[in-house]
Amino acid sequence: MNGVNAGWVADQVAGYIKDNQWEGLKEKLSEIARSPQPGLVAQVFTAIPRNVKPSAQQLRISFGEVEGLGPNPVPVIVRDWSVVQLLRVWFLSQIPDLGQEAYVALIDRLFKYSDMEESVSLYAALPIYRYPKAWQQRCIEGIRSNIGPVRKAIMVFNHYPSRFLEDEKAWNQLVLKAFFTDEDIPNIIGLNQRNNPNLAQALTDYAYERYAAKREINPMLWILVGPYLDERAFDLMERIIIESQIPLEQRAIAYAFKHSNYDIAREYCAKNDRFISLSDDSGTPWEAWEY
Amino acid sequence: MCSYHEQDRASMGQRIALDLELVKGLRFFDPHIHMVSRTTDDYQSMADAGIVGLIEPAFWLGQPRTGIDTFRDYYSSLVGWERFRASQFGIRHFCTIGLNSREANNEALAEAVMELLPFYIYKEGVVGVGEIGFDDQTAAEEKYYRLQLELAKEAGLPVQVHTPHRDKTRGTSRSMDIALEHGLDPGMVIIDHNTEETVKEVLDKGFWAAFTIYPFTKMGNERMVQIVKEYGPERIMVNSAADWGISDPLAVPKTAALMVKSGISKVAIELVCYKNAITAFAQSGQLDEGLLNEKIDVDQGQKFEGNSILRGGQQPRRDTGSIIIS
Ligand SMILES: [Zn+2]
Repeated sequence: MNGVNAGWVADQVAGYIKDNQWEGLKEKLSEIARSPQPGLVAQVFTAIPRNVKPSAQQLRISFGEVEGLGPNPVPVIVRDWSVVQLLRVWFLSQIPDLGQEAYVALIDRLFKYSDMEESVSLYAALPIYRYPKAWQQRCIEGIRSNIGPVRKAIMVFNHYPSRFLEDEKAWNQLVLKAFFTDEDIPNIIGLNQRNNPNLAQALTDYAYERYAAKREINPMLWILVGPYLDERAFDLMERIIIESQIPLEQRAIAYAFKHSNYDIAREYCAKNDRFISLSDDSGTPWEAWEY
Repeated sequence: MCSYHEQDRASMGQRIALDLELVKGLRFFDPHIHMVSRTTDDYQSMADAGIVGLIEPAFWLGQPRTGIDTFRDYYSSLVGWERFRASQFGIRHFCTIGLNSREANNEALAEAVMELLPFYIYKEGVVGVGEIGFDDQTAAEEKYYRLQLELAKEAGLPVQVHTPHRDKTRGTSRSMDIALEHGLDPGMVIIDHNTEETVKEVLDKGFWAAFTIYPFTKMGNERMVQIVKEYGPERIMVNSAADWGISDPLAVPKTAALMVKSGISKVAIELVCYKNAITAFAQSGQLDEGLLNEKIDVDQGQKFEGNSILRGGQQPRRDTGSIIIS
């Protein structure tokens, strides 16, 4: 992904705003910088769709990583965003420092009154808020959301959770919930770095449950289980690699066997030429994965 | 609202089997329906019947609220969770936000709700202030009706007016007189729950006339057909007002089917079951026909908890005729 910087984003943003409204928006921003009235912040944030050029209403934007959009050294990944979402996140990045208590209260209020699209933008903006550690509970609450786009904004292409969700249990909830709701697992940022034995254990339980219900199992699950393979996981994986009709599923299990620390699995793989070729990772979602 | 006694079949008129083939290819818009009280089965059958968009007016929930937080959560669910739920079935969800007449009678709470409203009425997809108006026609109801008319005027939003069940004719006249007194353009006001007794005055005064097809207690759709025959389709719209009572979320397509059978032209049917409501509420700037023509972007991970087979945006279909659940 090619990185771009905050200044470049500001130029992009200006291009999407109705010609006669860019000056007005900048004026409101400097007013907010001088005296950040919560009512004005909420009003500008909510009204952003009214500033967007009709020609830009339906655009979807991908920039890749943006460095320095907020005060934190955490990149923001703009991937398939609406113009309104880009404008909203950019607007949030312009809110001045008011001291932690007032700043957090101001952003919290936007969350509290948000509609669906506003929620998506507010959660996508987690990496840019000041006092990054202060947003952990908010992030955990968002992961619990029943609204698909809200969860996705947190789980996928977002650097915040892996860097700031300190609690391993909270991270594991994010990953488990992502499997339950069929999110784009390979694009959960930090999936490899935050992998852990408790997660592997919970995923193994989940795999047994899916298997009993004769439901599909996402192959990425085996990639996460791989480094912590044990007898229980191996038993199920061995059954599936033989029964499965899905090549990607077999390849994931073969890969997990080959790269595991569980001798029986490694030997099982080495004994069989077919498994050795299956364990090749080229073209798979875990190709860039490094154990 | 309803009395749940068994109705005498003979008094319900002739039964005509539901045949949606009659309205195949037509698109419908239900400008008044309380989806918080409805199930996913309703959403599915509404989508199947051709409903592409709806408006959910803020109303009471059957049980009076006792605190401001439950109002906030309710308004938030109208612009949040319910919007998402509808999108999963390819239906666009809009809403109107307001303090309903029944709960306007709890004045302490009503004051707090009035302070809450400006947080919601400027949101995307909020197409009016509603449903507001009279129920018992008390002084408190009048006070908050007037305040909310001012709010709508200031925000440039249409108003969706609930008219009372009791003393309806006078209550409807009074609702319109007060709106005019506050300088509202009648073209920005939708008077709801009309009957044969109220429709003429509403249309003569330049307001939009909405009709609620609701079994037993409001309009039946055979009467609706007669009204369209008599008054024509201009400024008339049909809705279901389906809620937690015995009501019918397919009232709009069913009424359209009956109109087809009764020889009303397709153009007229499209006006009263689709276009007029869109024209009226599009004055909010938050709704236009182009939006309804776009397919909802369901690739946004708009999936239901626990279900993983939603690629392409369709909800998986339950087989209602099978005792097997898988
Ligand atoms: Zn209603």
